[in-house]
Amino acid sequence: MNDDAPGVSWQAEDGLHVDTRGLAPPDPLIAVLWHLSQPGQEGPVIAHFDRNPVHLYAELERLGWGHEPAEPGPDVVTLVLRPIE
Amino acid sequence: MSMAGGFLGGAHDRLLPASIPFRFFLSAAGFQVLAWAALLVAAGEVPGFRGGTGPVLAAIHLLTLGVLAMTAIGASLQLFPVVTRRALTRHWPGHLVFALMLVGVSLLCWGMGAHRIAAMQLGAALTGTGLAGFALVTAGNLRGASAIPAVAAHGWLAMASLLVVAGLGVLLVWDFADGFLAGHGAIATLHLVLAIFGFMGLLAFGLSLVLIPMFALSRSLPKGPDWGQLALVALALVLVAASNLPGASWLFWPALAAGLGAAGLHLWLMATTMKRRMRKRLGLSFRLIRASWGLLVLGLLLIAAWGAGAPIPNAPALIVFVLLAGWLLTFLCGVLQRILPFLASMHAAGKSGLPPLLSDLAGEGPLNLHASCHFPALVLCAAGILLDQPMLIRLGAALGVVGAAGFAVFALRIAAKLRRTVPAG
Repeated sequence: MNDDAPGVSWQAEDGLHVDTRGLAPPDPLIAVLWHLSQPGQEGPVIAHFDRNPVHLYAELERLGWGHEPAEPGPDVVTLVLRPIE
Repeated sequence: MSMAGGFLGGAHDRLLPASIPFRFFLSAAGFQVLAWAALLVAAGEVPGFRGGTGPVLAAIHLLTLGVLAMTAIGASLQLFPVVTRRALTRHWPGHLVFALMLVGVSLLCWGMGAHRIAAMQLGAALTGTGLAGFALVTAGNLRGASAIPAVAAHGWLAMASLLVVAGLGVLLVWDFADGFLAGHGAIATLHLVLAIFGFMGLLAFGLSLVLIPMFALSRSLPKGPDWGQLALVALALVLVAASNLPGASWLFWPALAAGLGAAGLHLWLMATTMKRRMRKRLGLSFRLIRASWGLLVLGLLLIAAWGAGAPIPNAPALIVFVLLAGWLLTFLCGVLQRILPFLASMHAAGKSGLPPLLSDLAGEGPLNLHASCHFPALVLCAAGILLDQPMLIRLGAALGVVGAAGFAVFALRIAAKLRRTVPAG
């Protein structure tokens, strides 16, 4: 966790993971948008939620990012986010 | 489970059928038109209004019960399960509360306007039962809201206030027939204060802690001030109630100080949200929301000036109008502009896999019409009350009717688009 963005994030081979599980709204949305707005962020960003982030999709479209679902797990919704070419 | 089903697992499962919250919202939109229309009819009696049955009392309750309470019920039934991540397992309480409220509020307000005591009594009994049912359902929701304890605490106190408001309201209606209450006026004032600041005010303060950061894309608010605003509102309500005791009228001033402190903390929290927001263009809805914050302060300052003996003509009517139509109705219209498309997108997501863009659901024309009529309506009516000019109130109320009709068109459009996407539940 850092002071600017809520949640937990780590860099892995498949991209930057942002885990927002357990956060109260609206922090999951803020966490993902903060990481996407960082200079040089080109994705992929793998975002983990404990609910369908319905408020996020319009923001992703506005920012020019696409999303696709990863394999679902119990009590977790995972999205893979990439800039739209 | 399909990929889409797993992908969506969670939020959609916690949504009520769209028809339940939307019937509250659409009814509220209709009652808003009726409330302004009743004000139009009652214009001559508004400036000097001090209580009693008639069209002014009907207009007040069309606004408080028809618009504010109906919207609060629809929003609470829908949003609390999503926020708390606990589904409402039974839908019939929502249907029952709606039926009781729709019939009860209609009968009550007609009875008030037409001086029909029996209709008022039946309407009050039905409305009181509906509000009690809503408080019970919400209490079940709030028990699971451990992730947002301050918001839940606001909800608990709002529900407690609601039960007292409803109880006092039923008593007051029966007193119109039998005259058994020694202090009808004082109890009516307490009923009004608890309705404005206890029930609606606390719901507005509490839900704003989540909704305003979500709309503005801002981090959740710092802990501490949220509990502070709750404690100050609670203190203010207790002091106001105690000020009715013999020899305790001086408690009015500490109550007002606590109320001003609560409003100050709330506005500081909202200003913090605005400073930290990631969304720079907030749109029309936030013009309404920001104006409502200013009108809350104006209402409290008017109370202070009136209490200090300032010569404000028709101060009681002006204060009630500024707080109900100015603060609460303006705030609620601003929030509904965001909530309605948001809820519609969540329901549509359950059908098609992904939600449509909010901009595809919401039309801007009716909302522009609403805003361009709502603000002049507020100014004209307030000026009419202050200057004792019923013609200004009529003009303002007529604009209010047009603006409310615009808002109703906006709500109907969203409901119609949602109906084409999601079968009625």
